[in-house]
Amino acid sequence: MTPGSTSAACAALFRRDLTLAWRRRGDIAMPVLYAVIVTTLFPFALGPEAALLARISGGVVLVTVLLAILLALDSLFRSDIDDGSLEQLMLAPQPLALLLGVKILAHWLTAAAPLIVVAPVLASMLRMPANVIPALIAALVLATPLLSLLGAVLVALTAGTRRSGMLLALMLLPLCVPVVIFAAGAVAAAQEGLPWVAPIAWLGAALALALVLAPMACAAALRIAMDA
Amino acid sequence: MANWVPLWLHKLGSPPIFYRFAGVVRPWALALAILAALAALYGGLVLAPADYQQGDAYRIIFIHVPSAWMSLFIYGAMAVAAFVGLVWRIKIAEVVAMESAPIGAAFTFITLVTGSLWGKPMWGTWWTWDARLTSELVLLFLYLGVIGLYHSFEDRRQGARAASFLALIGIVNVPIVHFSVNWWNTLHQGSTVRILGPSHIEMSMLWPLLTMMLATKLYYIASLFARVRADLIATESGKDWVRAIALAENGDRP
Amino acid sequence: MSQFFAMGGYAFYVWVSFAVFFIVLLVDALAPLVRRRRNLRELRARMARSDARRRPGSNA
Repeated sequence: MTPGSTSAACAALFRRDLTLAWRRRGDIAMPVLYAVIVTTLFPFALGPEAALLARISGGVVLVTVLLAILLALDSLFRSDIDDGSLEQLMLAPQPLALLLGVKILAHWLTAAAPLIVVAPVLASMLRMPANVIPALIAALVLATPLLSLLGAVLVALTAGTRRSGMLLALMLLPLCVPVVIFAAGAVAAAQEGLPWVAPIAWLGAALALALVLAPMACAAALRIAMDA
Repeated sequence: MANWVPLWLHKLGSPPIFYRFAGVVRPWALALAILAALAALYGGLVLAPADYQQGDAYRIIFIHVPSAWMSLFIYGAMAVAAFVGLVWRIKIAEVVAMESAPIGAAFTFITLVTGSLWGKPMWGTWWTWDARLTSELVLLFLYLGVIGLYHSFEDRRQGARAASFLALIGIVNVPIVHFSVNWWNTLHQGSTVRILGPSHIEMSMLWPLLTMMLATKLYYIASLFARVRADLIATESGKDWVRAIALAENGDRP
Repeated sequence: MSQFFAMGGYAFYVWVSFAVFFIVLLVDALAPLVRRRRNLRELRARMARSDARRRPGSNA
């Protein structure tokens, strides 16, 4: 890789983001901890009846993961805006959409991938049958990057503002409705013993589309929001 | 830009000219809207006979359906204005897009409230997770997101551009939401509620409905223009033409 | 007349719907008028202040 080439820049950015995330390992644990806390609250609220918990387990785990990602999204550009490195990124000769795609990937690896790892544990705590767990993991593997990509566009739009926590949730809700419906649909179909590939395929199609479009939208949104 | 675009359309992009134009059009649109609404109310509440199935409860249709149409129409108008504003950086288009959002949110809110007021006596429940109701609720969140994003920026124009972008994302999202909620409904065997099929609708019921639709469209124009005027006064306050207006309207308090 | 207001037993639903429709739109129609007047008043106050600064002493 020649220094200064696009691939070198992407690799350097990727390594930088992972290093930064590793230096603040406590932040990586936060979304996971949040998901564990929320999931343990449900049996306390609804009672420990196994049949009821099994019925709601898919939906609870998906919504919990969604909220945990939403919580983590705020940090996607926050430190880069504070120290000015985001502006450097926007001035870089490499295409901004590609660089942002790399940033989103690094963020997904540090924030969402741990959630996928603990999701089967959480689901088992809620008595989800073992044969449903593959469907849950498949749904999460496709739904979490989709949420990260969609969320990144919205985070970019709020980049120039001060308060953004609740606003981000309000903006993300309409976008995540289809994702939640299809991901939960796959899990529900698996629980009823029905074929669950069709909703997963829809999620995959949406992810393919978002992989191409979302970084570009994110770059456009960032240029609007940071344009002073 | 292309030659066929009339010159006056270009001129309308200038804030002082738009301000004056809006000031002339607004009272007429408002007066016509009130007239049409009164005619529609008379037709709908007095002249139209009671429905043989729903009795008099169906009369909510005369405000519910026009509001639902407007909630979608205004979103479309907002998205078009947002697109024009983002691409050609026309200030008036940005203002029109941003000032459309609260009106659209108001109509969406009316649709939801009247929908559940209609649903209670007819379906026996205030709320059902029907595809249309759910999409309408998501639409309300989209409007609120646009309004919230606009107001979270300190710089108004920057906020308008960011919120315009969000409005354009939303217009891609609306059909996807509708499709997925439909799919979700069939999955969960939801009761498909169908009160007004594509079936026959009596002429005595149709004309008040269409007149009310006209009234809400005219009202949208009137309200939009009033809002744009208020917005221009604030954003253009450094300009001479706004100062002249401020001095001219100082009659009440010398 | 009272039959008209009774709306065949659905009076509550029908009249509350119409009330919501008109109240929401009335608020929506009045808000920009109030906002415009307030903006103009603030602008006049600002102009008066800057005038006073330009001509110190004359209590404009």
